[in-house]
Amino acid sequence: MLEIKNLHVAVDGKEILKGLTLSIDAGQVHAIMGPNGSGKSTLSYVLAGRAGYEITSGSIRYNGEDLNALAPEERAAKGIFLAMQYPVEIPGVTTLNFLKTALNAQRRARGEKEVDAKTVLTTVRKRAATLKVSEEMLKRALNVGFSGGEKKRLEILQMALFEPKLAILDETDSGLDIDALKLVAEGVNALRSPERAMLVITHYQRLLDYIVPDRIHVLAGGRIVAEGGKELAHELEAKGYEHIVGKAA
Amino acid sequence: MNANAHWLDERRAEAANRFAALGLPHRRIEDWKYSDLKTAVGSANDDGAASWTVGNLTDGVELFDLASTAEAPAWVKAHLGTLPQNAMASASFAQARTGLALRVPRNSAAGSVSLEFSGAGSTRALIVLEGGASLTLVETRAGDAFSNVGVEIVIGAHAQLDHVRLAPYARDAVQVEEYAMTVARDGLYRAHLFNGGAKLSRAEFQIALAAQNARAQLSGVSVLADGTHADVTTHIVHAKGHTESTQLFKHVAGGKSRAVYQGRITVEQGADKSDSRQTAKALLMGERAEADLKPELEIFADDVKCAHGAAVGDLDAGSLFYLRARGIPEAEARNMLVRAFLEEAVAEIADETCRATVWQAVEVALPGAMAP
Repeated sequence: MLEIKNLHVAVDGKEILKGLTLSIDAGQVHAIMGPNGSGKSTLSYVLAGRAGYEITSGSIRYNGEDLNALAPEERAAKGIFLAMQYPVEIPGVTTLNFLKTALNAQRRARGEKEVDAKTVLTTVRKRAATLKVSEEMLKRALNVGFSGGEKKRLEILQMALFEPKLAILDETDSGLDIDALKLVAEGVNALRSPERAMLVITHYQRLLDYIVPDRIHVLAGGRIVAEGGKELAHELEAKGYEHIVGKAA
Repeated sequence: MNANAHWLDERRAEAANRFAALGLPHRRIEDWKYSDLKTAVGSANDDGAASWTVGNLTDGVELFDLASTAEAPAWVKAHLGTLPQNAMASASFAQARTGLALRVPRNSAAGSVSLEFSGAGSTRALIVLEGGASLTLVETRAGDAFSNVGVEIVIGAHAQLDHVRLAPYARDAVQVEEYAMTVARDGLYRAHLFNGGAKLSRAEFQIALAAQNARAQLSGVSVLADGTHADVTTHIVHAKGHTESTQLFKHVAGGKSRAVYQGRITVEQGADKSDSRQTAKALLMGERAEADLKPELEIFADDVKCAHGAAVGDLDAGSLFYLRARGIPEAEARNMLVRAFLEEAVAEIADETCRATVWQAVEVALPGAMAP
């Protein structure tokens, strides 16, 4: 589904990703672990199409298509979803209205029929209860005054609503206590499916105790330096990044 | 105004002298730095007579035509021309041949009254709310000429005026307005200004919070397309203690347009426990747009709360990316963010119908203002 080959990405002229290669098939959950500054967030932004992240060489193919040619909204409509590390606060746009606008924009782009507010609300309600997203939150301005946990839960709620083919979770565990982490992980696990691929980006092994990946890649200095199964997370936790990164260098 | 109303002669002569001494404002005068009226007016003469129309006049509201030859009622004589006049207010007072006076008697609720000013030249209005009276005034500007409207507002004790002023896009118009008012004890003045932009538009407020618990709440939005200008200049004087003022102005400036906010707060000696807040923000949609936001404080009392802030920027890149990453196309996402930016100021309007009217005006103006 996703095939990244020898990817080089520069931000403000500075090279951050330096030859990253990675591929994920439908139904798989991959994790990217790495120390601060290794290029984890750059990878998530370049996959979602944020301006200012320039691909200087290499390629990203998504279902055979060159991702670089697509605007962020086109990627979303084609099933790419990025759960952001820092969801933005937008005063003046209510959460429910935002959800409806975004869902219908995606549906419109795919040539599907738009859904009315009531249908959106019904769909949202089904998912909202398990993620502990209250009706009151949905009426508030998007992410405004939400706690860290509420913001992350709302990201996962969006993932459930949009039903993406490829979900990228950028440090979804950051700023969460253990209860909030479990809740978010349950939400994510409920969305695992044979048609869906997930890329879980994290600094800590903790999240991977709850979202167990099929494969782990260690990112350091802008490229993958080690790969392995789920047991790699525990090795990292026990020995630290230095050990693995140093061995690879 | 009626030339034979001799009781006015002295007040008019004073105004004429004041205007003769001050002259038409130009950009070398500090208060008019961002609004070069003299150049904008050019050769246009103030020899027309702007006209006014009042609608939905409810029972109990008294209307007097200032051009009428009838003897003016005592309340008109008591108030007309008594509040402070700057250069342009002096000009309109000295020169206007048309005008109106409205009175809402003690303890009556007048509902919503509409008022439209149109045509070229000067005109005057006097609005008097007696103690405990209330009125919603929906004022509209029309016309594409040079007009100068001077309004005096007297708000009695426990009285409340909700004022919405709509100035739709008028490319060739030079529109000047001066609102001078005094608010008595426990009185409330609430205003919202919509500016769609003109060749030059200047709305100036001179507000005296003259007794305890007098309040003024000003808000507004300017939505400016290429080639337009809108200037909101306010001076609120906290003359007595326990008075409160709030101001919230939001501007969206596209093309080569200019949004101006100058807000001066004066807290006079002894006006302790006064509370004033003013915020002005501008979104510039392109390189050529300009915003000049100037909050100013003059505090002569010791125990006061005064907060002010001003910010000029463009749309937040992070917010734009967030919306697009969720599938919302760029143009729609930009629109959502601009509306969200304006929302806070429009939400200040208490009356739902008025709020809807302002949103309609915003919708009309927004496509022009969104173009860089």
